[in-house]
Amino acid sequence: MARWGSAGTQARSFLGQFTHHLIRYATWLPPLICVKEYVADLTFINGPSMYPFLNPHYNESLRRDLCLTYKRYSWKNLKRGMIVIFRSPENPKTTQVKRIVALEGDRVRTRPPYPYEYVNVPEGHVWVEGDGENTKDSNYYGPISAHLITGRITHILLPWDRAGRVRWWEHPERPGLHKGLF
Amino acid sequence: MAPFHRLASIFSTLRTRLAAPYKGEWIGDPLRVAIFTAKFICFAHLTVEYSYTVSHGVGPSMLPTFEVIGDCFVVSHRHRFGRDVMVGDIVVYNIPVNNNNSIGVKRVLGMPGDYVLTGTPHSYHSESAANTRKDLMLQVPPGHCWVVGDNITASRDSRIYGPVPLALIRGKVVATVKSPFDFQWMENSFKKVDDDDTIER
Repeated sequence: MARWGSAGTQARSFLGQFTHHLIRYATWLPPLICVKEYVADLTFINGPSMYPFLNPHYNESLRRDLCLTYKRYSWKNLKRGMIVIFRSPENPKTTQVKRIVALEGDRVRTRPPYPYEYVNVPEGHVWVEGDGENTKDSNYYGPISAHLITGRITHILLPWDRAGRVRWWEHPERPGLHKGLF
Repeated sequence: MAPFHRLASIFSTLRTRLAAPYKGEWIGDPLRVAIFTAKFICFAHLTVEYSYTVSHGVGPSMLPTFEVIGDCFVVSHRHRFGRDVMVGDIVVYNIPVNNNNSIGVKRVLGMPGDYVLTGTPHSYHSESAANTRKDLMLQVPPGHCWVVGDNITASRDSRIYGPVPLALIRGKVVATVKSPFDFQWMENSFKKVDDDDTIER
Protein backbone atom coordinates (compact mmCIF):
# COMPACT_ATOMS: atom_id res chain seq x y z
CA MET A 1 0.00 0.00 0.00
CA ALA A 2 1.25 3.43 -0.88
CA ARG A 3 2.02 5.81 1.93
CA TRP A 4 -1.12 7.53 3.05
CA GLY A 5 -1.40 11.03 1.65
CA SER A 6 1.28 10.57 -0.99
CA ALA A 7 0.60 10.96 -4.67
CA GLY A 8 1.00 7.23 -5.33
CA THR A 9 3.78 5.36 -7.02
CA GLN A 10 2.48 4.76 -10.49
CA ALA A 11 2.23 7.65 -12.89
CA ARG A 12 -1.16 9.35 -13.12
CA SER A 13 -2.70 11.54 -15.71
CA PHE A 14 -2.19 15.27 -15.42
CA LEU A 15 -5.83 15.80 -14.48
CA GLY A 16 -5.62 13.15 -11.77
CA GLN A 17 -2.54 14.73 -10.22
CA PHE A 18 -4.07 18.18 -10.47
CA THR A 19 -7.27 17.09 -8.69
CA HIS A 20 -5.27 15.25 -6.07
CA HIS A 21 -3.21 18.32 -5.19
CA LEU A 22 -6.25 20.58 -5.33
CA ILE A 23 -8.08 18.44 -2.78
CA ARG A 24 -4.99 18.10 -0.60
CA TYR A 25 -4.56 21.86 -0.36
CA ALA A 26 -8.30 22.48 0.02
CA THR A 27 -8.36 20.43 3.21
CA TRP A 28 -6.27 23.20 4.81
CA LEU A 29 -8.98 25.79 4.20
CA PRO A 30 -11.17 25.00 7.26
CA PRO A 31 -8.24 25.27 9.73
CA LEU A 32 -7.19 28.50 8.03
CA ILE A 33 -10.68 29.98 8.35
CA CYS A 34 -10.87 28.89 11.99
CA VAL A 35 -7.55 30.57 12.77
CA LYS A 36 -8.59 33.75 10.96
CA GLU A 37 -11.87 33.85 12.83
CA TYR A 38 -10.90 32.80 16.34
CA VAL A 39 -7.16 33.38 16.81
CA ALA A 40 -5.55 36.08 14.69
CA ASP A 41 -6.09 37.83 11.40
CA LEU A 42 -4.42 40.34 9.10
CA THR A 43 -6.40 43.52 8.52
CA PHE A 44 -5.97 46.44 6.15
CA ILE A 45 -6.99 49.77 7.66
CA ASN A 46 -9.18 51.97 5.48
CA GLY A 47 -9.90 55.62 5.99
CA PRO A 48 -8.70 58.47 8.15
CA SER A 49 -10.46 57.79 11.45
CA MET A 50 -7.32 56.74 13.36
CA TYR A 51 -5.09 59.50 11.91
CA PRO A 52 -2.23 60.04 12.81
CA PHE A 53 -1.69 56.67 14.50
CA LEU A 54 -2.87 54.54 11.57
CA ASN A 55 -2.88 55.66 7.93
CA PRO A 56 -0.91 58.89 8.57
CA HIS A 57 -0.64 59.51 4.82
CA TYR A 58 -4.27 58.84 3.97
CA ASN A 59 -4.58 62.09 2.01
CA GLU A 60 -1.28 61.64 0.16
CA SER A 61 -1.28 58.03 -1.01
CA LEU A 62 -3.49 54.98 -1.47
CA ARG A 63 -1.21 52.87 0.72
CA ARG A 64 -3.02 51.26 3.61
CA ASP A 65 -1.60 50.00 6.89
CA LEU A 66 -1.54 46.25 7.45
CA CYS A 67 -2.24 45.25 11.04
CA LEU A 68 -2.28 42.05 13.06
CA THR A 69 -5.55 41.52 14.90
CA TYR A 70 -5.86 39.27 17.92
CA LYS A 71 -9.29 37.69 18.15
CA ARG A 72 -9.36 35.40 21.19
CA TYR A 73 -12.03 36.48 23.73
CA SER A 74 -12.30 39.85 22.05
CA TRP A 75 -15.13 41.06 24.31
CA LYS A 76 -13.17 40.33 27.50
CA ASN A 77 -10.40 42.23 29.32
CA LEU A 78 -10.89 45.47 27.43
CA LYS A 79 -8.77 48.38 28.61
CA ARG A 80 -8.87 52.11 27.96
CA GLY A 81 -6.58 52.99 25.04
CA MET A 82 -6.85 49.68 23.16
CA ILE A 83 -7.47 49.86 19.42
CA VAL A 84 -10.31 47.53 18.57
CA ILE A 85 -12.11 46.33 15.46
CA PHE A 86 -15.88 45.98 15.73
CA ARG A 87 -18.92 45.54 13.55
CA SER A 88 -20.59 48.86 13.01
CA PRO A 89 -23.78 49.22 15.07
CA GLU A 90 -25.26 51.19 12.17
CA ASN A 91 -24.52 48.67 9.44
CA PRO A 92 -23.66 45.10 10.46
CA LYS A 93 -22.00 44.40 7.12
CA THR A 94 -19.11 46.79 7.78
CA THR A 95 -16.38 46.85 10.40
CA GLN A 96 -14.74 49.84 11.99
CA VAL A 97 -11.50 50.48 13.85
CA LYS A 98 -11.48 52.87 16.83
CA ARG A 99 -9.81 53.40 20.17
CA ILE A 100 -11.53 52.53 23.46
CA VAL A 101 -11.91 55.72 25.49
CA ALA A 102 -14.11 54.62 28.38
CA LEU A 103 -15.34 51.35 29.86
CA GLU A 104 -18.59 50.48 31.62
CA GLY A 105 -19.22 52.66 34.63
CA ASP A 106 -17.20 55.63 33.34
CA ARG A 107 -18.58 59.09 32.71
CA VAL A 108 -17.48 60.83 29.50
CA ARG A 109 -17.80 64.42 28.38
CA THR A 110 -19.04 63.99 24.82
CA ARG A 111 -18.12 65.85 21.63
CA PRO A 112 -20.41 67.81 19.30
CA PRO A 113 -22.79 65.51 17.42
CA TYR A 114 -23.90 63.85 20.67
CA PRO A 115 -27.10 65.38 22.08
CA TYR A 116 -26.06 65.36 25.77
CA GLU A 117 -22.97 66.87 27.38
CA TYR A 118 -22.17 63.92 29.66
CA VAL A 119 -22.87 60.23 29.21
CA ASN A 120 -22.58 57.32 31.63
CA VAL A 121 -21.32 54.25 29.78
CA PRO A 122 -23.80 51.44 30.62
CA GLU A 123 -22.98 47.90 31.68
CA GLY A 124 -21.36 45.75 29.01
CA HIS A 125 -20.67 48.76 26.78
CA VAL A 126 -17.61 50.78 25.81
CA TRP A 127 -17.15 54.28 24.45
CA VAL A 128 -15.01 54.29 21.29
CA GLU A 129 -13.52 57.24 19.46
CA GLY A 130 -11.15 57.69 16.55
CA ASP A 131 -7.90 59.58 17.03
CA GLY A 132 -8.46 61.82 14.03
CA GLU A 133 -10.81 64.67 13.32
CA ASN A 134 -12.66 62.98 10.48
CA THR A 135 -14.31 60.13 12.37
CA LYS A 136 -17.79 58.74 12.98
CA ASP A 137 -17.62 57.19 16.42
CA SER A 138 -19.51 56.89 19.71
CA ASN A 139 -20.15 60.63 19.63
CA TYR A 140 -22.37 59.84 16.68
CA TYR A 141 -24.06 56.55 17.64
CA GLY A 142 -23.48 56.34 21.40
CA PRO A 143 -21.74 53.66 23.48
CA ILE A 144 -21.37 50.29 21.74
CA SER A 145 -21.84 46.82 23.19
CA ALA A 146 -18.58 45.00 23.91
CA HIS A 147 -19.95 42.00 22.00
CA LEU A 148 -19.69 43.96 18.76
CA ILE A 149 -15.90 43.93 19.14
CA THR A 150 -14.33 41.24 16.97
CA GLY A 151 -10.65 41.84 17.69
CA ARG A 152 -7.94 44.12 18.97
CA ILE A 153 -4.98 45.43 17.00
CA THR A 154 -1.71 44.26 18.52
CA HIS A 155 0.91 44.94 15.83
CA ILE A 156 1.43 47.13 12.81
CA LEU A 157 3.04 44.98 10.08
CA LEU A 158 3.25 47.36 7.12
CA PRO A 159 4.75 49.88 6.33
CA TRP A 160 8.15 48.81 7.62
CA ASP A 161 9.14 52.12 9.17
CA ARG A 162 6.25 52.05 11.63
CA ALA A 163 6.10 48.26 12.05
CA GLY A 164 6.01 47.01 15.61
CA ARG A 165 3.86 46.47 18.61
CA VAL A 166 0.95 48.80 19.28
CA ARG A 167 1.73 50.40 22.66
CA TRP A 168 -1.87 51.20 23.55
CA TRP A 169 -1.07 51.51 27.26
CA GLU A 170 1.13 54.53 26.53
CA HIS A 171 -1.72 56.45 24.96
CA PRO A 172 -2.70 59.45 27.13
CA GLU A 173 -6.16 59.48 28.63
CA ARG A 174 -8.68 61.68 26.95
CA PRO A 175 -9.60 64.85 28.87
CA GLY A 176 -13.17 64.82 30.14
CA LEU A 177 -13.09 61.16 31.22
CA HIS A 178 -14.16 60.32 34.77
CA LYS A 179 -13.31 56.75 35.65
CA GLY A 180 -15.71 54.47 37.51
CA LEU A 181 -18.08 57.10 38.86
CA PHE A 182 -21.08 54.85 39.33
CA MET B 1 24.55 16.39 21.44
CA ALA B 2 22.57 19.58 21.54
CA PRO B 3 19.42 19.46 23.67
CA PHE B 4 17.21 20.10 20.66
CA HIS B 5 18.66 17.15 18.75
CA ARG B 6 18.26 14.91 21.78
CA LEU B 7 14.63 15.97 22.10
CA ALA B 8 14.07 15.40 18.40
CA SER B 9 15.61 11.92 18.55
CA ILE B 10 13.48 11.01 21.59
CA PHE B 11 10.42 12.20 19.71
CA SER B 12 11.24 10.23 16.57
CA THR B 13 11.96 7.10 18.64
CA LEU B 14 8.62 7.51 20.37
CA ARG B 15 6.96 7.99 17.03
CA THR B 16 8.37 4.78 15.57
CA ARG B 17 7.68 2.81 18.78
CA LEU B 18 4.07 3.96 18.88
CA ALA B 19 3.61 3.28 15.20
CA ALA B 20 5.35 -0.11 15.17
CA PRO B 21 2.27 -2.33 15.54
CA TYR B 22 0.49 -0.44 12.76
CA LYS B 23 3.34 -0.30 10.24
CA GLY B 24 1.95 0.33 6.81
CA GLU B 25 -1.53 1.12 8.05
CA TRP B 26 -3.08 4.58 7.77
CA ILE B 27 -3.01 4.98 11.55
CA GLY B 28 0.72 4.20 11.64
CA ASP B 29 1.70 7.87 11.62
CA PRO B 30 0.45 9.63 14.78
CA LEU B 31 1.39 13.08 13.48
CA ARG B 32 -0.66 12.63 10.34
CA VAL B 33 -3.59 11.29 12.34
CA ALA B 34 -3.43 14.30 14.67
CA ILE B 35 -3.35 16.75 11.76
CA PHE B 36 -6.22 14.96 10.05
CA THR B 37 -8.27 15.05 13.26
CA ALA B 38 -7.63 18.78 13.72
CA LYS B 39 -8.61 19.47 10.12
CA PHE B 40 -11.78 17.44 10.48
CA ILE B 41 -12.75 19.18 13.72
CA CYS B 42 -12.30 22.58 12.05
CA PHE B 43 -14.38 21.45 9.07
CA ALA B 44 -17.17 20.10 11.28
CA HIS B 45 -17.17 23.22 13.44
CA LEU B 46 -17.44 25.55 10.45
CA THR B 47 -20.15 23.43 8.84
CA VAL B 48 -22.28 23.54 11.98
CA GLU B 49 -21.50 27.15 12.85
CA TYR B 50 -22.56 28.47 9.45
CA SER B 51 -25.59 26.25 8.82
CA TYR B 52 -27.88 25.00 11.58
CA THR B 53 -27.45 24.32 15.28
CA VAL B 54 -29.82 22.90 17.87
CA SER B 55 -29.80 24.71 21.19
CA HIS B 56 -32.13 25.16 24.11
CA GLY B 57 -33.32 28.12 26.12
CA VAL B 58 -34.18 28.41 29.78
CA GLY B 59 -36.52 31.00 31.21
CA PRO B 60 -40.09 32.22 31.22
CA SER B 61 -39.67 35.12 28.78
CA MET B 62 -41.03 33.28 25.69
CA LEU B 63 -43.67 31.29 27.55
CA PRO B 64 -46.53 30.61 25.14
CA THR B 65 -44.02 29.70 22.42
CA PHE B 66 -41.30 27.94 24.42
CA GLU B 67 -41.65 26.18 27.76
CA VAL B 68 -39.66 27.44 30.74
CA ILE B 69 -37.26 24.52 30.53
CA GLY B 70 -36.59 21.67 28.16
CA ASP B 71 -37.54 23.08 24.78
CA CYS B 72 -34.99 22.77 22.00
CA PHE B 73 -35.01 24.79 18.82
CA VAL B 74 -33.16 24.78 15.52
CA VAL B 75 -31.23 27.98 14.78
CA SER B 76 -30.46 28.93 11.20
CA HIS B 77 -27.16 30.81 11.06
CA ARG B 78 -27.83 31.96 7.53
CA HIS B 79 -29.74 34.76 9.24
CA ARG B 80 -26.79 35.93 11.36
CA PHE B 81 -26.23 39.69 11.55
CA GLY B 82 -29.92 40.14 10.80
CA ARG B 83 -29.84 38.92 7.19
CA ASP B 84 -33.40 38.47 5.90
CA VAL B 85 -34.84 38.85 9.39
CA MET B 86 -38.37 40.24 9.42
CA VAL B 87 -40.72 41.54 12.06
CA GLY B 88 -42.24 38.54 13.85
CA ASP B 89 -39.19 36.28 13.59
CA ILE B 90 -37.63 34.82 16.72
CA VAL B 91 -33.91 35.56 16.84
CA VAL B 92 -31.00 34.36 18.95
CA TYR B 93 -28.65 37.18 19.94
CA ASN B 94 -25.91 38.16 22.36
CA ILE B 95 -27.44 40.23 25.15
CA PRO B 96 -25.77 43.64 24.67
CA VAL B 97 -25.53 44.60 28.35
CA ASN B 98 -23.98 41.34 29.59
CA ASN B 99 -20.28 40.83 29.98
CA ASN B 100 -20.39 37.08 29.60
CA ASN B 101 -21.32 35.31 26.39
CA SER B 102 -24.98 34.91 27.32
CA ILE B 103 -27.64 34.41 24.68
CA GLY B 104 -31.15 35.81 24.43
CA VAL B 105 -34.07 34.38 22.45
CA LYS B 106 -36.75 36.96 21.68
CA ARG B 107 -39.20 38.01 19.00
CA VAL B 108 -38.34 40.91 16.69
CA LEU B 109 -41.01 43.60 16.91
CA GLY B 110 -39.28 46.35 14.97
CA MET B 111 -36.69 46.62 12.22
CA PRO B 112 -34.73 49.78 11.31
CA GLY B 113 -37.10 52.64 10.63
CA ASP B 114 -40.12 51.14 12.40
CA TYR B 115 -41.83 52.95 15.27
CA VAL B 116 -42.11 51.02 18.53
CA LEU B 117 -43.49 51.68 22.02
CA THR B 118 -40.75 51.55 24.65
CA GLY B 119 -43.16 50.68 27.47
CA THR B 120 -45.49 47.77 28.12
CA PRO B 121 -49.07 48.43 27.03
CA HIS B 122 -51.76 48.18 29.73
CA SER B 123 -49.24 48.03 32.57
CA TYR B 124 -48.30 51.67 33.06
CA HIS B 125 -49.46 51.60 36.68
CA SER B 126 -47.39 48.59 37.72
CA GLU B 127 -43.91 49.01 39.17
CA SER B 128 -42.08 46.46 37.02
CA ALA B 129 -38.54 47.11 35.88
CA ALA B 130 -39.59 46.95 32.25
CA ASN B 131 -41.80 49.94 32.84
CA THR B 132 -39.18 52.56 33.55
CA ARG B 133 -39.54 54.24 30.18
CA LYS B 134 -43.27 54.67 30.07
CA ASP B 135 -45.30 55.49 27.00
CA LEU B 136 -42.49 56.71 24.80
CA MET B 137 -42.55 56.03 21.08
CA LEU B 138 -39.24 55.71 19.27
CA GLN B 139 -37.99 55.03 15.78
CA VAL B 140 -35.63 52.06 15.66
CA PRO B 141 -32.22 53.46 14.56
CA PRO B 142 -30.45 52.13 11.44
CA GLY B 143 -28.74 48.79 11.97
CA HIS B 144 -30.76 47.92 15.07
CA CYS B 145 -33.88 45.94 15.88
CA TRP B 146 -36.42 45.96 18.70
CA VAL B 147 -36.79 42.59 20.45
CA VAL B 148 -39.49 41.73 22.98
CA GLY B 149 -40.30 38.42 24.66
CA ASP B 150 -43.72 36.86 24.16
CA ASN B 151 -44.36 36.81 27.92
CA ILE B 152 -44.06 40.57 28.33
CA THR B 153 -44.54 40.62 32.08
CA ALA B 154 -41.54 38.32 32.73
CA SER B 155 -39.09 39.31 30.03
CA ARG B 156 -35.95 41.42 30.02
CA ASP B 157 -35.65 42.74 26.49
CA SER B 158 -35.39 45.94 24.47
CA ARG B 159 -37.77 47.66 26.88
CA ILE B 160 -34.91 47.56 29.39
CA TYR B 161 -31.72 47.79 27.32
CA GLY B 162 -32.96 49.51 24.21
CA PRO B 163 -32.58 48.52 20.56
CA VAL B 164 -30.22 45.61 19.86
CA PRO B 165 -27.61 45.98 17.09
CA LEU B 166 -28.29 43.61 14.20
CA ALA B 167 -24.62 42.61 14.35
CA LEU B 168 -25.31 40.83 17.65
CA ILE B 169 -27.88 38.51 16.06
CA ARG B 170 -26.50 34.98 15.76
CA GLY B 171 -29.38 33.36 13.95
CA LYS B 172 -33.08 32.85 13.57
CA VAL B 173 -35.19 30.11 15.14
CA VAL B 174 -36.62 28.08 12.26
CA ALA B 175 -38.05 25.05 14.10
CA THR B 176 -38.83 23.73 17.55
CA VAL B 177 -38.01 20.24 18.82
CA LYS B 178 -40.23 19.69 21.86
CA SER B 179 -39.32 16.01 21.99
CA PRO B 180 -37.36 13.74 19.64
CA PHE B 181 -40.65 12.87 17.92
CA ASP B 182 -42.17 16.35 17.85
CA PHE B 183 -40.46 18.50 15.22
CA GLN B 184 -42.31 21.60 14.10
CA TRP B 185 -41.29 24.25 11.61
CA MET B 186 -41.64 27.75 12.99
CA GLU B 187 -43.71 30.10 10.89
CA ASN B 188 -43.76 33.85 11.08
CA SER B 189 -47.19 34.66 12.50
CA PHE B 190 -47.17 38.11 10.93
CA LYS B 191 -48.61 37.42 7.50
CA LYS B 192 -49.55 39.73 4.70
CA VAL B 193 -53.28 40.25 4.66
CA ASP B 194 -54.93 39.23 1.39
CA ASP B 195 -57.79 41.18 -0.04
CA ASP B 196 -60.02 38.10 0.20
CA ASP B 197 -59.65 37.91 3.97
CA THR B 198 -62.51 39.47 5.85
CA ILE B 199 -62.36 40.74 9.37
CA GLU B 200 -65.06 39.22 11.55
CA ARG B 201 -66.26 41.12 14.54
